[in-house]
Amino acid sequence: MIDRNLIGKEAEPGHVTINAESIKEFARAIGETNPLYLDEKAARAAGYANIVAPPTYPIAFMAESMNPDLFIELNLDITTVVHGEQEFEYQRPLVAGDTLTVHAKLADAWEKQGRSGTLTFVVFEANAVDAANKPVYTSRITLLAKQAQEEIAS
Amino acid sequence: MSYSVGTELPTLKIGEITKPIIAEYSRAAKDLNPMHTDDEFAIMAGYPGVFAQGMLGMGFLSRHIVGICGVGKLRKIKVRFKTLTWPGETITCKARVTEVNGNLVTCDIQTENQDGEPKVTGTATFEA
Repeated sequence: MIDRNLIGKEAEPGHVTINAESIKEFARAIGETNPLYLDEKAARAAGYANIVAPPTYPIAFMAESMNPDLFIELNLDITTVVHGEQEFEYQRPLVAGDTLTVHAKLADAWEKQGRSGTLTFVVFEANAVDAANKPVYTSRITLLAKQAQEEIAS
Repeated sequence: MSYSVGTELPTLKIGEITKPIIAEYSRAAKDLNPMHTDDEFAIMAGYPGVFAQGMLGMGFLSRHIVGICGVGKLRKIKVRFKTLTWPGETITCKARVTEVNGNLVTCDIQTENQDGEPKVTGTATFEA
């Protein structure tokens, strides 16, 4: 059973500095050719401090920026965890050189009877703020996990 | 460009998804899940082989919408990873306007394969 008392619990804040080379690698991997993601000069000419990150780039540092303790506390069967939904809301574009503090919490958790047993749904919400403590984006990630076999048997 | 409810926006053809494309995304996204890079692992887990990351499809959708609205104009994107995308499938991104509220345009978005089967589906809101 998922411990619903954990809903609302916050993880230790995480910290990350956004790296230009990592942005470029990510942009190329999704087939981007927009120079604002790939070329510092083009980004500066457009008024940005450095190259801009594509909208889904935060996934590349999600693990690094989120303290795993809260996830571990949920005691999900990691081998069955599937990414079900993803949402991003943006307050401004993320730019190389940004230093973010990521405040993550368990936003919701519930269980549902599926075709192959009980499914657990968990939603993590992460709010990223910059060095001036201004919001940059919010991420909501919904994960699904099958309930552990031994738990079903007991 | 002016937007009205029901308008189909220009599609973005991504092309054929290959194992190297999937592996490149794993590296770039620091996705350590061997399900996307190791056929034997995926087969042991009950799949026919490796498959694409849902987030790769979301990356394509964000590329599609930003290609239309411009960098810095995307306000929100939300997707559901409906069905898996397999190597060999040819992916296209589609968007249809569902709401216009002042300068904010909301679309239904999806990636689909060559048979029109939806893969990653959701909504996006941008500043027109």
